[in-house]
Amino acid sequence: MSHFKSRRRGAVYAELPAHAAGLLGNLARQLIELLSEGEPHQRIGDDPLEALLDFGAPRDRPEDPALQRLLPDAHRDDEEAAAEFRRFTEGTLRQSKIHDATVVVVCLDEVTDGEVDDVELELDAVQARCWMRCLTDLRLALAARLYIRAGEEDSWENLPDDDERLPLFEIYGWLGYLLESLIDAVRR
Amino acid sequence: MADVTSAPDAATLERPDTEQGVLLEVPWVTLVWDDPVNLMSYVSFVFIDYFHYSKSKAQRLMMQVHHEGKAVVSSGSREEMERDVQAMHSYGLWATLQKGDA
Repeated sequence: MSHFKSRRRGAVYAELPAHAAGLLGNLARQLIELLSEGEPHQRIGDDPLEALLDFGAPRDRPEDPALQRLLPDAHRDDEEAAAEFRRFTEGTLRQSKIHDATVVVVCLDEVTDGEVDDVELELDAVQARCWMRCLTDLRLALAARLYIRAGEEDSWENLPDDDERLPLFEIYGWLGYLLESLIDAVRR
Repeated sequence: MADVTSAPDAATLERPDTEQGVLLEVPWVTLVWDDPVNLMSYVSFVFIDYFHYSKSKAQRLMMQVHHEGKAVVSSGSREEMERDVQAMHSYGLWATLQKGDA
């Protein structure tokens, strides 16, 4: 069984099959790569002038649809304001998402080392929130890769067995199940 | 609806602190938009966890996002709304800010 149960003081506990834990760790690593690689802003030194001019800070929305959804525009009908907001905040947002995913990777690494059966996972209240945000980011990124759109739920639920999107969609569904059980456990 | 019960004394009225005047200041709002990915339980959880809203208020706002496509989840100064929008984005919710009440 891979669902979370509540423990004392907001902590939660889960047993995950080792292969599922390995899959999740792999996805979280890919997410970190996605959020780091697409980053146009790679400041090399601590040159105060460079920091002041800040030529590298992002102004345009990312081209990758997954990154567009993870790092959305903050102003809907005002491109200039959206670009300005992005310039000042996108780097921080990427870092907070990378941090959440790193917490997931570290938690899993601690328990999966060489393990072939179920792994036991215990998360404190802070870690549980990092996990929720990361599971959500993973679902958003997968949904962008699968082109999941509003109002098409039925066609996704009835994918034929030989559809090449099925394995990815099953992972997407499993992440949703895991997130739902984590929310339930934290709320108790 | 309201009625005046006693004549106010104009001499004791205080001038508001803001130079621009209270009537001219339109507050900013944070909007959360519906998306096909985020779980309903997660969206209410975020409203409780971040805004410290009651369970019933969080539930009501989540249902409004779900049925109407969007909901105003907070209002205040532009700076405060920028903070809220960035927090919503860190939770993976699709949020924007704008002047006025959408």
